[in-house]
Amino acid sequence: MDKSTRQSLIDIVGEKNYTDRLIDLVSYSYDASEHSHRPGCGIWAHSPEQISEIMKLASSKNIPVVPRGGATGLTGMAVPQGGGIVLDLSRMNKILNISIQDRLAIVQPGVVYADLEKALDRFGFFFPPDPASGKVSTLGGNVATNAGGVKGAKYGTTRDYVLGLQVVLPDGRIMRTGSRTMKSVSGYDLTKLFVGSEGTLGIVTEITLKVNPKTTAASTALATFDDLEDAGHAVSQIMYSGIVPSVLEILGREAIVAINQNTDLNLPEVDAILLAETDGYTTEETEYQLAKVIDVFNRNRAKTVKQATSEDEAAELWKARKSAYGVLARIKPSFVLEDVTVPMSKIADLLKGIKAISKKHNIMIATYGHAGDGNLHPQILFDKYDPDQARRQEAASEELFRLTIDLGGTLTGEHGIGLQKAPYMTLEHDPAAMSVMRSIKKMFDPKNILNPGKMSLEN
Amino acid sequence: MEAKYDFERKYREQVLKCSRCGFCQAHCPVFGATLRPAYNARGKMLILKEVMDGKIDLNDELIETLFQCTTCANCYTNCPSGVNVPEIIKQVRKDMVNIGSCHPAFTGMNEVLKQHTNIYAEDEPEDFEREKNKQAEYVFFIGCVGAYREDESTLATLALMDRLKIDYTLIDEVCCSGVLEDVGHRINEDLARKNIDLILATGAKAVITGCPYCTRTFDNRAPYAALKEKGLKIYHISQVLKDFDIDVKTDKIVTYHDPCDLGRHCGIFEEPRETIQKIAPNFKELPHNRMDANCCGAGGGVRGAYAKNSIAMARRRLQEAEEIGAEVVLTECNSCVHNLSNAKLRKQNFEIYNTAQFINQLLDEVK
Repeated sequence: MDKSTRQSLIDIVGEKNYTDRLIDLVSYSYDASEHSHRPGCGIWAHSPEQISEIMKLASSKNIPVVPRGGATGLTGMAVPQGGGIVLDLSRMNKILNISIQDRLAIVQPGVVYADLEKALDRFGFFFPPDPASGKVSTLGGNVATNAGGVKGAKYGTTRDYVLGLQVVLPDGRIMRTGSRTMKSVSGYDLTKLFVGSEGTLGIVTEITLKVNPKTTAASTALATFDDLEDAGHAVSQIMYSGIVPSVLEILGREAIVAINQNTDLNLPEVDAILLAETDGYTTEETEYQLAKVIDVFNRNRAKTVKQATSEDEAAELWKARKSAYGVLARIKPSFVLEDVTVPMSKIADLLKGIKAISKKHNIMIATYGHAGDGNLHPQILFDKYDPDQARRQEAASEELFRLTIDLGGTLTGEHGIGLQKAPYMTLEHDPAAMSVMRSIKKMFDPKNILNPGKMSLEN
Repeated sequence: MEAKYDFERKYREQVLKCSRCGFCQAHCPVFGATLRPAYNARGKMLILKEVMDGKIDLNDELIETLFQCTTCANCYTNCPSGVNVPEIIKQVRKDMVNIGSCHPAFTGMNEVLKQHTNIYAEDEPEDFEREKNKQAEYVFFIGCVGAYREDESTLATLALMDRLKIDYTLIDEVCCSGVLEDVGHRINEDLARKNIDLILATGAKAVITGCPYCTRTFDNRAPYAALKEKGLKIYHISQVLKDFDIDVKTDKIVTYHDPCDLGRHCGIFEEPRETIQKIAPNFKELPHNRMDANCCGAGGGVRGAYAKNSIAMARRRLQEAEEIGAEVVLTECNSCVHNLSNAKLRKQNFEIYNTAQFINQLLDEVK
């Protein structure tokens, strides 16, 4: 940062909210992806007015600005690829209002998902997306990535709950979108445009979220399948059954074997495990739904089906799924966690394809994920310090994306494009769609200062 | 490429295993108090990764984060990748000291223990009005914080042990110096020798410590190996108390703060609870307890070197006690008592004690 810009930024936020110290610049170079790039400085912002001043300055001087929350993103979207300013929003962390009678919560972007969950719990309400990183990820980040989680099939993702936003635009204007009402068709849906925009269009400074009453009962079952196809059919047939489970998770063989090698869970080493949960307000209700799910499991030649009879037993059944990420994270020095998503009827095809890709490129890929909404997490394990392995990982990822698109799927269900998947955007989106996206970017951010380099928006 | 530093030789794989998921942000007390990612465990691992990659070198600029870790291990026990951050930090601090980069507070600590018998450089040992260095079944080892800063708590603990007719002796103890290992230096062998000789001379079969860090030091640090080789057992006071049935009760809402050194580092979670639940039927857990307990902010030398953040960490911990409506916060570590007491706000009406002190007080009241 040159001397005069540095001084101008300090004038806006104060000395103690500006940093260009090495320790901060190193940590602001990374998120949870394999990407990194040094910023020029970091700023702890405290108000939309400050951010507006920062954006005006950045616009006039063509300095990149990268908003950042918990930086748990897996695609490099918080990595300051073009240098410039990392705008750390984690200290704008106030829950401004919870209005149960209006069924909404208004929060600053730095509020951690779990903190909102705790605040809503007192009222018997919750904000459903439940990302796996919810203990640390911020709601601003959840909005920027349109975060989702295990309950996506029934409850949707962040997008389904964002009613309105306050946004600082790249030129410094402060804009409100949406409303505090449960529905609105007043003008273009600017709110939804910002959800999943990865910090490329504006800086979200306030979020109005719809919240849901919490269910009070749940039933859980786990089924094992010797044949992947059977598990795949079970997933699509559950959808015919008239039931939408609150959770429908899958673990593939490689993930199961890895879990067995690294824990004492002693899972049956089958082709696939499906974990289902139904929720509601009475046990009768949840058991009724689960019985239908179990019926589908049985009709599709499940090898074993186990239903939990207590909360403790349910926790036991969850252990395998919950341990997957941690176990797989320890096996090799590096990993890439993908989140390709296909129509639910194609889950088995995707799993089979992943197996073939793994074999072809001689690289370990363990898969688990949200079968209930077709969103799988193939975790590619390798050592990035070995150039050959790094090359094979890239080749495997690319082939995985091609396969997903061929199956009618999408590159990303919940992690976003960021830097990691930017080169593959044109695989999924036709030239007209790419051109419209680039036009939108240009209209909001003509100087391309907001989170440049992401989502393949420059051309 | 030849590894330049010991931390790299010992822990390269561990550092690289950090997948940068950032989940430690939910557990790191320094991050929680400051919301500054550079202080978080992930921030520290990223710096070490860049050092290993040759992008930066260890230097004075890194002191602020590498020496600002309470070594509470909450990140380690919650890390999906199993990265043992506290051990890596302790090693890199040694590397830092080797190249002449050290926080002045820790250089000072090392120097003080070359000339004095305690970390506070106090000249006059506290007088606890008991005969020292006599033959006894147990040696009670107080520890520096208990001897020089929380002496009331120590007096009460000794009174309770008298009441329970425990056959113990005090010794002319000197600092166990275990903490030096955490802040880039090494245990002072002269001090260790002196403690060992004094303990062995009493003919005791076990050492009971008032400080969980001293427990760890005697239990598993090489300079103190002689104690166990001679057949002595090492206990923390909480392990001894649980075997007594003390006939006293309180109606107050009592909670328990797990000291990191006793809980996560020694695995002692249930013994203190057994004792407390016998005397306090209205016992309530803090939201974060046992393996998930939040650090009070005093460990790893942070209280001395970064007092403001240390107090902020203690405030966050006390916030939890306030949330559950606790009237008494008990713990088993003089450092925790000291830091939590310093951080307590006037509006917070609860009292903070070591368990032994609280029990002794209750016994005084019924007398």
